[in-house]
Amino acid sequence: MIARDLATPCPSIRMEDDAIDAVRLMAEQHLPGLVVCTADGRPAHILPGTQVLRFVVPRYVQDDPALARVIDERTSERLLGELAGRKVRDLLPAHSDVEPAIADPDDTVLELAAMMTRTHSPLVAVVDSGELVGCVTLPRLLDALLSLGSA
Amino acid sequence: MTVFAVAVFVIAYVLIASEKVHRVTVALGGAGVMVAAGVLDFEHAFHSEETGVDWEVIFLLLGMMIIVGVLRQTGIFEYVAISAVKKAGGRPYRVMVLLILITAGASALLDNVTTVLLIAPVTLLVCNRIGVNPVPFLLAEVFASNIGGTATLIGDPPNIIIAGRAGLSFNDFLVHLAPIVVVLVGALLLLCRFMFRKQFSYDPARAAEVMRLDEREAISDPRLLVKSGVVLLAVLVGFVVSATTGTAPATVALLGAGVLVLISGLEPRQYLADVEAPTLVFFVGLFIMVGALIEVGAIGQLAQWATEATGGDVQVATFLILGVSAALSAVVDNIPYVATMAPLVESLAGSTGNPDNVLWWSLALGADLGGNATIIGASANVVMLGIAEKNGYRITFWQFAKYGCLVTLVTVLLCVPYLYLRYFAFA
Repeated sequence: MIARDLATPCPSIRMEDDAIDAVRLMAEQHLPGLVVCTADGRPAHILPGTQVLRFVVPRYVQDDPALARVIDERTSERLLGELAGRKVRDLLPAHSDVEPAIADPDDTVLELAAMMTRTHSPLVAVVDSGELVGCVTLPRLLDALLSLGSA
Repeated sequence: MTVFAVAVFVIAYVLIASEKVHRVTVALGGAGVMVAAGVLDFEHAFHSEETGVDWEVIFLLLGMMIIVGVLRQTGIFEYVAISAVKKAGGRPYRVMVLLILITAGASALLDNVTTVLLIAPVTLLVCNRIGVNPVPFLLAEVFASNIGGTATLIGDPPNIIIAGRAGLSFNDFLVHLAPIVVVLVGALLLLCRFMFRKQFSYDPARAAEVMRLDEREAISDPRLLVKSGVVLLAVLVGFVVSATTGTAPATVALLGAGVLVLISGLEPRQYLADVEAPTLVFFVGLFIMVGALIEVGAIGQLAQWATEATGGDVQVATFLILGVSAALSAVVDNIPYVATMAPLVESLAGSTGNPDNVLWWSLALGADLGGNATIIGASANVVMLGIAEKNGYRITFWQFAKYGCLVTLVTVLLCVPYLYLRYFAFA
């Protein structure tokens, strides 16, 4: 089984799209992340859902979990308000030493698993000659591993 | 050999001050060179009271780090800070006053970096709630931390080094430094009112948001809180009576840490999370380098020059040490500065006299308060700046220095009449 067999159609979003649209897309399609494309449509980054959370949850709450407990529910409701006026580009880490989770269609299951581990990404974009073929999500990969194990 | 030892020391010092090489690497490298070149042998480097590593300092720090590591798991600091802010009704200056008092008080019992790490997130949350710029609050807290830490033996690492070298007890620090620190905290409150006067706009609607915070939720484990509180109290009592019982503060701290680890039920990774191994190793390297200077007679020579410069007058020496320490601590980390100066002051005291240990108090006041002047003056400043930057608030070197130099100037000047009146005029 290779990446091409596992890839399923998935939506992508552009750097200049509104950040809140990215969140909406992830929520509506139950995706753990999104493929982010450049202006000419080439897949360039993966935006994991956790990165969105990292952006909207104040850093001081991330550093001190006790503070998350003292804040009332009304504040949680306003968290996504932080995304107002932001673009998808703003959500991506400014500097990342890790390569984007983009695989070739003939990559094996193990290569995909290793890439997810290395990049901490729950989603791998499968790209052929600069075109997005589809995505492999973590549940899809685990499913493939289970079926390989039972074969 | 003297020239060689001094050269190694100066190069190491320049490298530490420039921050081009990590200070632990420099301290260990310098210590290694001193031992490898035979300036100090193993016995003198590790076992000599005069020239060796001061293990009491190392183990006192280790014990307190473990106690703090357990204590911070309880959420008590967040509870106290949020309760205070709610009592202030969300009024910005009142909030700042209470946060300064909490920080100064905590700093007297915990090390400054830990205090800053604990208070900064709560401050950011509160300022975000009441709609004010958190930068003045963070600056005020780091100043309070450096001032408050001056009050006790365990409040600031330079004090621990001084206590080790001079044989001063926990109570000595309390009796001689705590009174002036109370005055200095009062002065800081007034200074902050003046320095940040345009930053205290009050919005009742925003203040109401603070009142909705539920501080009781911060306490994650009430039983652990009670256990930690009892042990911390016992440790503080142990410090106070240590002079009469003859127990070293390091023993008290290690005993407290051991008991707390046993009864807390926490995993080693939890209670060791706050043990800053690099800091402890830095101290070891530093002690060996300074020990080498003592061994070759360089410190004795410097003390002789200092005695001649002061004309053997202890009053001149006191104010010279205060001023020079404040000025130098503003530009170099006060830990290596005090580690170097401590043996020098000890020698100087032998020739000028040292009524009521006044030379030690002027060294502690100068070095601890001088750390407020610039970002690089104290480790807590750097840590606070890092937290501010991570949260999107950049504090520049000059922005810090503008307020820090004023705070340092006022607080050091206030020490002059204190030292003069207490140790000379009414001695």
